[in-house]
Amino acid sequence: MFLAFKEMARAKVRFALLIAAIALLVFLILFQQSLQNGLITGFIGAIREQSAPVLVYSVDGQRVVQGSAITPEMEAQVRTAPGVREVGPIGQGTFTGKPSGNADGETFDTTIIGYELGPDGNGIGAPTTVVEGRLPNADNEAVVSDADVQLGYGIGDSVTLLPGAKSITIVGVAQDAQLNVSPTLFVSYETYLDAIKSVNPDAGTPLPNVLGVVPADGYTAEQTVTSINDQSLDLDALTKDDAAAQTPGVSQVQQSFNIIFLLYGLVVPCVTGLFFLIVTFQKANSLTLLRAIGAPAGRLVSSLLIQVIVIVGAGLLIGTLLYYPVSQQSLGGITLRFETSAVVFWSVLLLSLGVLSSLVAARRVLSIDPIEATTGQGVGS
Amino acid sequence: MKLALKELRRRPGRFATATIILTLIAILLMFLGGLLDGLIATSTGAIRAQNAQAIVYSGTAQASFVRSRIEPELRAQVEAVEGVTEVGGIGNVQLGARVPGNGPRDLASVALFGYELAPDGVPDAPPFGQAWADETIKASGVEEGMVIELGPARTPIEIVGFVKDTNFNGQSSLWASPDTWRDVLSANRPDAQVGADVFQALVVRGDGTDLPGAIDAATAGATDSYTVAGAVAAIPGVTEQQNTFNQIIGVTLAIALVVIGLFFALLTVERTSLYGVLKALGAKSSTIFAGLVAQAVVVTAIAALIAGALVAVLDLLIPPGSIPLLVTPARIVSSVVLLLVAAVLGCSFSLRRVLRIDPASAIGTTS
Repeated sequence: MFLAFKEMARAKVRFALLIAAIALLVFLILFQQSLQNGLITGFIGAIREQSAPVLVYSVDGQRVVQGSAITPEMEAQVRTAPGVREVGPIGQGTFTGKPSGNADGETFDTTIIGYELGPDGNGIGAPTTVVEGRLPNADNEAVVSDADVQLGYGIGDSVTLLPGAKSITIVGVAQDAQLNVSPTLFVSYETYLDAIKSVNPDAGTPLPNVLGVVPADGYTAEQTVTSINDQSLDLDALTKDDAAAQTPGVSQVQQSFNIIFLLYGLVVPCVTGLFFLIVTFQKANSLTLLRAIGAPAGRLVSSLLIQVIVIVGAGLLIGTLLYYPVSQQSLGGITLRFETSAVVFWSVLLLSLGVLSSLVAARRVLSIDPIEATTGQGVGS
Repeated sequence: MKLALKELRRRPGRFATATIILTLIAILLMFLGGLLDGLIATSTGAIRAQNAQAIVYSGTAQASFVRSRIEPELRAQVEAVEGVTEVGGIGNVQLGARVPGNGPRDLASVALFGYELAPDGVPDAPPFGQAWADETIKASGVEEGMVIELGPARTPIEIVGFVKDTNFNGQSSLWASPDTWRDVLSANRPDAQVGADVFQALVVRGDGTDLPGAIDAATAGATDSYTVAGAVAAIPGVTEQQNTFNQIIGVTLAIALVVIGLFFALLTVERTSLYGVLKALGAKSSTIFAGLVAQAVVVTAIAALIAGALVAVLDLLIPPGSIPLLVTPARIVSSVVLLLVAAVLGCSFSLRRVLRIDPASAIGTTS
């Protein structure tokens, strides 16, 4: 151990460069992990965090809420399907919103999700993660996603939809309930219909975009999905988790990031392995001499492994420290979070891969023959 | 330099690991760049194709077609602006399309545009009920002469031919007459329908140094006008995607630089005594350093070429409609150039070490 630290102290620059490379890689991996999760949550969080266990789209909608339209015939088919207890219409539109809480008077793309409130605002499609305030219990009231509060969508603020003067008052905040990575308001279905009329006087009455369904007693959400889909080829029922995961773009985002993570994950052990292999070559003669004067091979290998653990560990620590302040920020409407599970997962994986990659160098050390000290040969030959 | 290249030829194994790492980093750079290009290309083609000096939305639309409405009176104001020579209305609707021969749940995503002024590469609008289609829709089995059905109303549209690079929001575009667009919009999106002569946006041709600014001034802010490049950047998410990806690409390049620096610093340390001998024989520091740079450039160039080929193969293997990867020669070349610059810069870490080598150290240190 003494040998390992002494060597690192004497060659600070080379070990510091390796730590810097690993730290940058760790930072990039963790940052992109947060970016991926933030992007997906901002994209489909409202679908995951609403109360209907089953959502029914029209096949034409291709699993995009705003693209789907449920005709009266389709709604009747859903209501009569076995396994359906309650059905509620859900409508969604994107508007230009001007929140009163924004000091600069900025306007934002604002998603409005309308659902039938029910007696206490807890109707089918209501947000399930209200962390502040309350659910809407009247028209022109809204619950907003927590990511939007900083933009001026706070409780007590009003949002004016442009053009026109339709105003909606915010009464509650829900966690992770954004849709389309834009400020998202949950309002009554009537408020949603009024909003459409207020910005487009030519508009006809919109059809519900999707139907929220509560399964009957004795039916699971999956059984209800099957039952509804059996009614018509125009109906596309999904559990809410499937609806979130199968929203167009989500799987592409995940696939793209997975390829990026794989490549970064491969670079870390390659850099570590290469570094220690070269260092082992460089000190071949010294290692041979140490073996000749009685140093056991095990001690030399453990010295190498200690260096690997310290270097990769330092890289992980610095990378995580770089990642922490970045993970507290928002990026173009995407809320980043410190992903503890990602830090643990990547730390264990990269440390294991780092140690594994150094085994090539360890094998070189083990193959040293002390007799070579007398012939001038070493592990490098 | 000859010596350095000779070493590369005779002991390629010594450089193999560095080449593998740099290949991985080059793949990362090209993949990230290709992903960015793919995302931007499939989102912005319909706007980029516009042959115009200004794209005009209504003042509160935030550059969104669906939230924009241009009434005939507002259009007349735009037409009266000095320097404006041609004005054409444009609108779109995004729907699912049923394709003959495909399964009943297997729909193609399309964005149907109604237009008055033809974009670059798109012929004049065909008669009612017909449309030009972006060639990407062929992946869904659409052929010329085929009638596809749009939206829940299953409005029939005959495809009369194909155009290139005009996609919008990741969807294959269809280009039709304004009447066709209005008909499809009313039948399938009653909440978004517009009156006769109302468009979502205007495509404006003309001259003048700042036509968008002149239009917005003339309409007293009732319009929100952009150049074509500005309209592309204003599409929600485009600028954010570009900034994020460019930052990630920048840090990846910094990693490449550190890796190259690390590798050649180690190599220099390993060969200090050898360089001492070379210096003792009369070799200049600049010659030795040039050899190192040559090695770095060759190793990086090989890695970049392998990476370029692998990314091109990856592009072929990825099925259409999954990952939006667009591999272009420009992206490959720019990635290679950036990597080569990183290689030279990374190598310069070793310059000080080479300069410090004392020829006298050669005496008695090498056998």
